[in-house]
Amino acid sequence: MTAVLPGNALDAKLDIVGTSVRRNDVAEKVSGSARYTADLRLPGTLFARVKRSTVAHAHIRRIDTRRALALPGVKAVLTHEDVPRVLHYGSPMPRAASCTKDQYILDRKVRYWGEAVAAVAAVSEEVAEEALALIDVEYDELPVMTSTDAAEAPGAVQIHGDREDAPPGNLVVPPIRVSRGDVERGFAEADLVVEGEYEGGRPTPAYMEPNACLCHWDEHGKLTVHISTQTAFMVRGAMAEVLGLPLNQVRVQVDHFGGGFGAKQDLFQSEFLCALLARQTRRPVMMEWTRKETFLGGRSRHPVKVWLKQGFRRDGTITARQARLVYNSGAYGSHGPGVTAVGTTSLTSLYRCENVLLEGRCVYTNAPIAGAYRGYGVVQAYYALDIQMDEAAEKLGLDPAALKLKNAVREGDIAPSGHPIVGHGLEDCIRRGMQEVGWSAEPRPRSRPPKQAPQGPLRFGWGMGCEMHGSSAYPGIKEQGNALVKIHEDGTATLYTGTAGLGTGAHTALAQIVAEELGLEFEAVSVVHGDTDVVPWDIGAFASHTTYMGGMAAKLAAAEARRQLLQRAADKLEAAAGDLEVRAGVVRVAGTDRAITVRDAMLPGRGLPSPHIVGQGTYTPTKSYSFAAHFVEVQVDTETGQVDVLQVVPVHEVGRVVHPVAAQGQVEGGVQQGIGHTLTENHEIDPVTGRSLNASFVDYKMPLAMDMPPIRTILLETAPDPGGPWGAKGIGEDPIIAIGPAIANAIHDAIGVRFRHYPITPEQVLQGLREAKGEGSAA
Amino acid sequence: MTRAALPALASSAPAAPALRSVQCTINGEPVAFGVAPFRTLLDALRHELGLTGTKKGCDVGDCGACTVLVDGAPVNACLMLAVEAGGRVIETVEGLAGPSGELHPLQRNFMRCGAAQCGFCTPGILMMSKALLAENPSPTEAEIRFGLAGNICRCTGYTKIVEAVALTAAEAAGGAAGDTSAAGRPRAARPAPGKGTR
Amino acid sequence: MIRFDYADPATLAEARALLLAQGNAASLMAGGTDLLVEIKEQVRVPRLVVDLKRIAGLDTLQVDADGALRFGALVTARRLETDARVRARWPGLHQAVTELGSIQVRHRATVVGNICRASPSADTLPPLIADGAMLHVHGAGGDRPVAMEDFFTGPGRTVLRPGEIVLQLRVPPPARRSGRVYIKHGRRKAMELATVGVAAAVTLDDGGRIADARIALGAVAPTPIRARRAEAALVGEKPGDSLFARAAELAMEESRPIGNVRASAAYRREMVGVLTRRAVQRACGMALAEERP
Repeated sequence: MTAVLPGNALDAKLDIVGTSVRRNDVAEKVSGSARYTADLRLPGTLFARVKRSTVAHAHIRRIDTRRALALPGVKAVLTHEDVPRVLHYGSPMPRAASCTKDQYILDRKVRYWGEAVAAVAAVSEEVAEEALALIDVEYDELPVMTSTDAAEAPGAVQIHGDREDAPPGNLVVPPIRVSRGDVERGFAEADLVVEGEYEGGRPTPAYMEPNACLCHWDEHGKLTVHISTQTAFMVRGAMAEVLGLPLNQVRVQVDHFGGGFGAKQDLFQSEFLCALLARQTRRPVMMEWTRKETFLGGRSRHPVKVWLKQGFRRDGTITARQARLVYNSGAYGSHGPGVTAVGTTSLTSLYRCENVLLEGRCVYTNAPIAGAYRGYGVVQAYYALDIQMDEAAEKLGLDPAALKLKNAVREGDIAPSGHPIVGHGLEDCIRRGMQEVGWSAEPRPRSRPPKQAPQGPLRFGWGMGCEMHGSSAYPGIKEQGNALVKIHEDGTATLYTGTAGLGTGAHTALAQIVAEELGLEFEAVSVVHGDTDVVPWDIGAFASHTTYMGGMAAKLAAAEARRQLLQRAADKLEAAAGDLEVRAGVVRVAGTDRAITVRDAMLPGRGLPSPHIVGQGTYTPTKSYSFAAHFVEVQVDTETGQVDVLQVVPVHEVGRVVHPVAAQGQVEGGVQQGIGHTLTENHEIDPVTGRSLNASFVDYKMPLAMDMPPIRTILLETAPDPGGPWGAKGIGEDPIIAIGPAIANAIHDAIGVRFRHYPITPEQVLQGLREAKGEGSAA
Repeated sequence: MTRAALPALASSAPAAPALRSVQCTINGEPVAFGVAPFRTLLDALRHELGLTGTKKGCDVGDCGACTVLVDGAPVNACLMLAVEAGGRVIETVEGLAGPSGELHPLQRNFMRCGAAQCGFCTPGILMMSKALLAENPSPTEAEIRFGLAGNICRCTGYTKIVEAVALTAAEAAGGAAGDTSAAGRPRAARPAPGKGTR
Repeated sequence: MIRFDYADPATLAEARALLLAQGNAASLMAGGTDLLVEIKEQVRVPRLVVDLKRIAGLDTLQVDADGALRFGALVTARRLETDARVRARWPGLHQAVTELGSIQVRHRATVVGNICRASPSADTLPPLIADGAMLHVHGAGGDRPVAMEDFFTGPGRTVLRPGEIVLQLRVPPPARRSGRVYIKHGRRKAMELATVGVAAAVTLDDGGRIADARIALGAVAPTPIRARRAEAALVGEKPGDSLFARAAELAMEESRPIGNVRASAAYRREMVGVLTRRAVQRACGMALAEERP
């Protein structure tokens, strides 16, 4: 448990934090001047494209690039024969438990449909694309296994059998096992045992900016990489390691970033290929993925099968919980270990249970790679858990919200990270949501808000779902955020943060924190980020830790700068530094009207040097947990099976809201993705060939403006965490976890059919209705 | 002609097609440029003309990130050839602000309402919104959502985008000007039951 | 994008000459919203794209003295969508164009282009078949009329011979006491390729019985088809729920859908039933309610 740091009062009254100030990164977005990686222009740039396999599992018997090299305009072609053979972490976090070291830049083998087999650099994208067709590849095909069942079957071909350290049975890592208490005793004590199998499909983040990378080398052999990534320092580290460069000869720059949602933490082979093509041709090389490539070569959520069993007393208390989760990693491990660990251990919590036995496995298959994606294994686990709570409520004759409230984790319970929970955030969310939608806690025949009456084939229902999620990757990864704050000679300040900007408004939040801590106006603080040559080392933006970790590092840096500022002001005011306070750009001797502006405090005297005020902050967080309860109304057309979400009331407890509009934006965006996952989004892979069947927006269906319901977000600050700046915790991933089970539970309320998987398609709804009527399948 | 014929195209093809000269108006300025006939308007804007504000999200007309106005009509620039732009009046996001940089009301309200997160979809949505309001100055929320049906956003859930467009319409009609309170912002109406019946 | 050349002839004769000279290596372009996607996905790999947009006389949209709707090959979906006469008198067609792609696509895509692309799920096909539209084909032997329902020979294939160009479409005037409906089924409310599309055009006689019924189904066969047995079951009868259900059953039997990533064959067939029932019911309702000016 993190102690409350000095100057981090959880109940402080704040001026700037907590206000929706004008974001410091939007003016360029609405004017079109924001530069994303693919907008950068360097003279002489060549354009690169990647050739991708059209088989899902095969040795490359022969690859011939002569015809491609002969095409006028082609400047370089690389195959596995031309690139360093260095095994690396696809997900660039060396020495971390979350990721797997199982990828080569290009291998002699392909393990999924769409894996890169060659790369071309040419004078135009059109020539590069033509050259791809001129590269001849012959494959010796191997058996294709796209399901974890097939990959785990006895005698199945090992997808990474050529690696000595790969566990047997196509496992990415040895199984995760968690045991607490005594589940056998717990089940024996139960009045009711509920058991079920739950399945999660393959949604993908589908960020709007396709992956892009621009590499160039200078005359000293220094590599500069402009790239759309969440983890610039990780890219630097991986590139340096694999290409054999010292770290100070690799510079990674990220300007504007068009969405990642976790999936742009990895290395995708293309960065190395881009750098190697640039080195060989001695020209800058730009590689922009097509939309199709973001599906084939990007990262999706891990499909999952969950077997879950719980025991309940008649009064609803959970006595035991046992689960087996099998995550489908796809062809490479990426974040499989982390996702499996976090997802599996999440089942020790959310709803209290002393007796827990869990096993999580992560399995290689010949499917596109699954990786880090908003919610990181917990989406899958809590979909199962929360739906099963609804099932148990039904069987026990209890209201589901009341059952969840009864079992909700509370202060002092041990969270999945091993730390005690701070506050009663989950209970607060559930209660507030119930109040908001008119959901009664009393066990009446019907406690939910009144359902709309059926209209023709339409049925209506209400459901709720809960979640909790950590604001850091601890303990799987020991993260660190670093920051520098400089106060300039005119009293303005600059924050140098290693934190990546994902477009969420994080840098605005950090500037607010710095301004608040320093006592300056918000506009007086600027932010420098996105250049590994300039900013302090940072692990990158993920795990909802930007505000919590990056914000705390910034606060600590600002606090140190403030200390130096007050020292200087104390001299000018002839007072003790300890008697000074600073607010809105003015330093005042407390309780008097002796004051000086920060500007005047900083201004050097005539002939004197400018002050050098630099504060440094380093923060190694443990973990805080944010909570949410989503309340959802749905409409089901019982003739077409179509499900529409009519309204969402998401209630989130986040400790301290730094920027209300940005926080709402995270919730609203997460709800959109979650509605998609639950009802319409699935990256479909042909089970026999491993081919992608819908690698485009026409057939990968995300909710559009017309599909989205009204969202009435409620933000609570009832459980601030001392580990975050003034108690602030993360919010980025929470909304996508709670919305799924809420929708599934609402569908059950509407039509009495229980779904235990996502996405829930209209056809499956009709099938469920038929089975409920005892009619069997359609002809 | 099937896919198998493609290699033959490369080896026996005539020299690459000659560049064409295109003259049009872009953001109020007359422009002349040379471009290959197979170049899309999107690629010509982003490369030949250096106007990178218009984005490539999918290149096949499914996402709307490349929306520009051609003679006032919103179109996907990825589905138009640059040579088709000859003689046309093109507007991109770079031309939204006034001559001295005064923000267009849509730009101002997108900032105010938090309607842009990563911002990648924003230029396309701004141009589509401009066209939408030009044709229908007082749209209902449903009409705004219908108008934006061809623009995908993955960050915002569309809520604040719709708010920003509605606020812009309301201000132009003389309502809610300057009122940024929650009360002043148009509330998303609860849909009538039966929404979505086909 | 492959590297093709481009021509924008000023006359039909020039256009036809280019098509005949290049054979399969040339593709016609009107709006380009289908063609450019096909080229980018390497479904089509032309050496030459022939743009029709400079040819005069192909962009007229009018209602003739006899009340028929006529529009040329270059008329965009958006023009039809925003035309009050189309909305009022050909509501099935109007609904179809409103749901085609997005507004951005509709500002470029032409209805004739949508027809000539001949995708079995194309939105404009079922309502135009239900409305009895005729295509005006211009070719070597002169011009010939082709009925919409006779135009398609397979997925992406039509009766057009090399060098032929569709110049315009004529949609007959709506009969008195008729209703026209198009219902598109998709997973989302916009930006969809129809998993099933059903168009119904129903005319009632003075006694309130169904005098004429045309039901066209899209996306459930290699081409759009008419559900003739369903139509026959309706003619001569008074509208009513059990009649609609019977027509829906017959339409289901007449459909031959395939399964793909968008939907299974069984589900498509089931939706033919649901949408046919709804479409015929609505069309009858419109016919009963309308007052012909």
